[in-house]
Amino acid sequence: MTLVRDLRYALRSLRNSPGFTLTVIVTLALGIGANTAIFTLVNGILLRSLPVADPAQLYRIGDENQCCVDGGFPQDASQTGDFSIFSFDLYQHLKQSAPEFEELAATQAGQWTWSVRRGSDLAKSLHGDFVSGNYFSTLGVNAYAGRIFSDSDDSPAAAPAVVLSYAAWQGEYAGDPSILDSIIYIQAKPFTVIGIAPPGFFGDRITDTPPDFWIPLHTEPYIEAGDAILNEPESHWLYLLGRVHAGTNVLALESKLTVALRQWLLSRPDMVANGGAALIPRMHVVLSPGGGGIQNLQDETGKGLRMLMALSTLVLLIACANIANLMLARTTTRRAGIALRTALGAGRRRILREILTESIVLSCLGGLVGLIVAYAGCRTILALVFPDARHMPISASPSLPVLGFALLISVITGVLFGAAPAWLSFHAQPAEALKGASRTTRDRSSLPQKALVVFQAALSVVLLAGAILMTKTLTNLESQNFGVVTANRYVAHFDPQGAGYTIDKLPALYREMQDRFSALPGVASVSLATYSPLEGDNWSDCVIQQGHPAPQHGQDCDSTWDRVDTHFLDTIGVPIVRGRGFTEQDTATSPEVALVNEAFAKKFFSNQDPIGKRFGQAMPEYSGSFEIVGVFRDFKMNLQYSHENVHPVFLRPLTQQYMDYKDQGLARGETRSMFVNAMILNFHAAPPNVDALVRNTFAGIDPNLTVSDLRSFSNQLAGNFNQERLVSRLTGLFGLLALVLASVGLYGVMSYFVARRTGEIGIRMALGATRPSVVNMVMRGALWQILVGLVLGIPAALYVGYLMKVLLYNVDSYDPTALAGAPLLLVIFAAAAAFIPARRAASIEPMQALRTE
Amino acid sequence: MIELSNIERSYKAGHTEEWVLRRVGLTIRRGDFVTIMGPSGAGKSSLLNVLALLDDGWQGEYQFDEVPLHDYNRKQRADFARQRIGMVFQSYHLLDDLTVAENIDLPLSYKDLPVRVRQGLVADILDRFQMTAKKDLFPSQLSGGQQQLVGIARAVVHAPALLLADEPTGNLHSTQGQEIMQMFCELNQEGTTIVQVTHSESNAQYGNRLIELRDGWIVRDESIAGQIAAGTR
Repeated sequence: MTLVRDLRYALRSLRNSPGFTLTVIVTLALGIGANTAIFTLVNGILLRSLPVADPAQLYRIGDENQCCVDGGFPQDASQTGDFSIFSFDLYQHLKQSAPEFEELAATQAGQWTWSVRRGSDLAKSLHGDFVSGNYFSTLGVNAYAGRIFSDSDDSPAAAPAVVLSYAAWQGEYAGDPSILDSIIYIQAKPFTVIGIAPPGFFGDRITDTPPDFWIPLHTEPYIEAGDAILNEPESHWLYLLGRVHAGTNVLALESKLTVALRQWLLSRPDMVANGGAALIPRMHVVLSPGGGGIQNLQDETGKGLRMLMALSTLVLLIACANIANLMLARTTTRRAGIALRTALGAGRRRILREILTESIVLSCLGGLVGLIVAYAGCRTILALVFPDARHMPISASPSLPVLGFALLISVITGVLFGAAPAWLSFHAQPAEALKGASRTTRDRSSLPQKALVVFQAALSVVLLAGAILMTKTLTNLESQNFGVVTANRYVAHFDPQGAGYTIDKLPALYREMQDRFSALPGVASVSLATYSPLEGDNWSDCVIQQGHPAPQHGQDCDSTWDRVDTHFLDTIGVPIVRGRGFTEQDTATSPEVALVNEAFAKKFFSNQDPIGKRFGQAMPEYSGSFEIVGVFRDFKMNLQYSHENVHPVFLRPLTQQYMDYKDQGLARGETRSMFVNAMILNFHAAPPNVDALVRNTFAGIDPNLTVSDLRSFSNQLAGNFNQERLVSRLTGLFGLLALVLASVGLYGVMSYFVARRTGEIGIRMALGATRPSVVNMVMRGALWQILVGLVLGIPAALYVGYLMKVLLYNVDSYDPTALAGAPLLLVIFAAAAAFIPARRAASIEPMQALRTE
Repeated sequence: MIELSNIERSYKAGHTEEWVLRRVGLTIRRGDFVTIMGPSGAGKSSLLNVLALLDDGWQGEYQFDEVPLHDYNRKQRADFARQRIGMVFQSYHLLDDLTVAENIDLPLSYKDLPVRVRQGLVADILDRFQMTAKKDLFPSQLSGGQQQLVGIARAVVHAPALLLADEPTGNLHSTQGQEIMQMFCELNQEGTTIVQVTHSESNAQYGNRLIELRDGWIVRDESIAGQIAAGTR
């Protein structure tokens, strides 16, 4: 009953002060909303366990984001010794070596898009993963309908089977139950749908494009035919995730696996050759907790999310300080009422309970509105950072932990900002308070209020400086010289292999595509390439100059390469700086040629004229394969290596397939590279209906040739910075919030100052103070608090800048713009916020003020 | 020195207008010690506020040493008051955060006077009011009488031609009140024109002229023959 009465009093009291209540709720909603939105992401990405049985028993062999197919020593492993990606042969070896695993499953490292067709429907582009037969049983996941894979499904003799995700079944096949046991065509190969995975199961990692289906590892040769890598012992493309027996000593298991890895490496002649033997003793595996799944997204977003969580906490602190200020002002004005109740016999506990009830009710109301802000904020963030998400397993809807988090911070906030006013009210002398403020012009409660404004100002400077640093970083990233022209360019992705094309049919297809698209109105040029610049794909290989020996393992001989048609460089606006580009004379029967960029020439033919020089890929016996006929100006093919330097790149013509590879892997790569996946269209001026125009033209060429992705080149380029853009925009938003909250706080304090000191101002004016001098007095008081805040905030901003260093690009952590701009912004906002009460103070009529006194 | 003619002041009270001063005409000569009396709501303080130029809402004519203040705008009136008028309040209105010396310095700080000159003036007035020993004390450390002495010292530190006092002894006990009134007498005898508002008949005896107000009208304006001289108690 007492609680009900306290709640009733609290609600009545809040209803009687709608302005105060609204201000507090909005301030809290922003603070709690910002925190909860970020926490939703942190919870959804960093803290979440896979929706599988007993995730604590899961361990991943490896802890690095190595992707997607690595030959020999994985790229990072040659540097760090950390082996995180495995071939099928090595998987089998480790599985046999470690009976400590109840089950050890393998899953594909990269995420591929497949062409999937059912019956006579048009083909769809869906994401699918190759997984071992024990994948579902390792994770402890059962089928929603039908059955999951068994070991027998993952054998060379097994009938090709597929398990659909629940989301894909619902989204792509409208939940049609007849799909079970029916045939669907994946890359034009028939598979039987044997089961539907349970709702909510999104695979072994959090990603914006979780798999729509899973197929057994042994169907890889069935799909890829000659390009299969399943039986390539040194082609690493699998992540390993296992469930250990209860009580297993994980450290001992890790050592055992490392020994097994080295034994396997030593047993492989190609791994031992060319200095590999010296690298093997450094090779090791790390056994990492697998309950959260493969942590690639977590590794990519972790730093940014943790920083955002810290920054949003600062916003909440500023909001709390604001509200504490408002509560202090309110308590002071209610002091007489509290004193009266004390005089009438109310105990301290009773008064404390009432004040705390009111503040907790307020904070819970703020928390509720904050949840709405958080939901909207989280949706916006997800759309911003994962614009291409399909069936994403991160929901903006508040989950139980998120609701708990919001409730917890609401209550903590309520107690925090309720405690100070309650404490102050105990120090009110009832007699004095009842007498009112008729004589005094002193206001003791303004000290904690001023301290809170100083605190807000200091935090605001930190947030603003952070926001400026991140904004500059994003600007620098986006405005860096990529070396390509993006205006009026569009990139379409498609999969001729998935549409059933074989290598012999490709030249005719490419010719038709060129003819059809070039004939479209407004098209300036059309280019086909295995992949397009800055789309995130990267093919790289070891380059060996003619006559050079095989490079040692770990030696940097890498170059990015791509296969392109004759219009490629023109279409992306990259000029030839020496020699010539590809021409129609570079045919299947003419000498094998290549174009290289300036970085390639500098790296492999330093101080030489590269024109006419020859090089090859991977092995010395092929080192004379291609003749360099031209050098093109550097441009950034991808941002995987560094934003700073352009990586060496060589281009090979779409018409020339090197037929002399004896090595299966190289021959397979060569064949695979003939299947282009990207088309770049350069318009004189982009027409308004690009999407329909392109898709219809593709459909006109072949209805099975579906466009999996179509976007402007500039959009594709911008997609490289989605995370940086998110961090930058949110940091900017938090900085702005901090600025507004601190200004509102200062406004509140100065308004309160003016209201409380109306008498003093009246006296001063009666004694001759002019109105400008009153404005000056109020402004001086306000800016003095800001100044103290700056003195504390600027060193803090420097330190935070230092902590953010890893997220910055071409910006110093002590960037002068940030260090000068943040205080300047704060001072301008503070001056504007303080000027309103200052003007009000100056308009006080001394006669009325004295009468009030 | 002061010529008030047809001064009127009213306040809006809902749809009606409440008059607090009605056609007030008054001449105050240099050296006068005028006492304004009357029941509550008669318009005493309103008249004092008009004289102090703290109020802008009146109508009529106000000449001060033949300066037509009724033609002045708000800023000009404030500048004029700063130079020529001092004010003493019933509840002292000292600033609690300032020391005695700083409170006295306050009106000087709003004039363009060099710091050294201000310090000299404050030191003189402290000496004259025998408060030098208390110059660093805060108002809360003084008795009510001492606080009002500081209030008077603050009002006269810039040597105003006109000193206005609104119930200057209203918050003091009788002995302290007499001391304050004695101080007014001394100032008056030194040439300061004084206008006080009071309810106290005995305080009125310190002046040489009595004006009585009722419902905003002057109903009595007469000289008082037996002014209590400074030093006689």
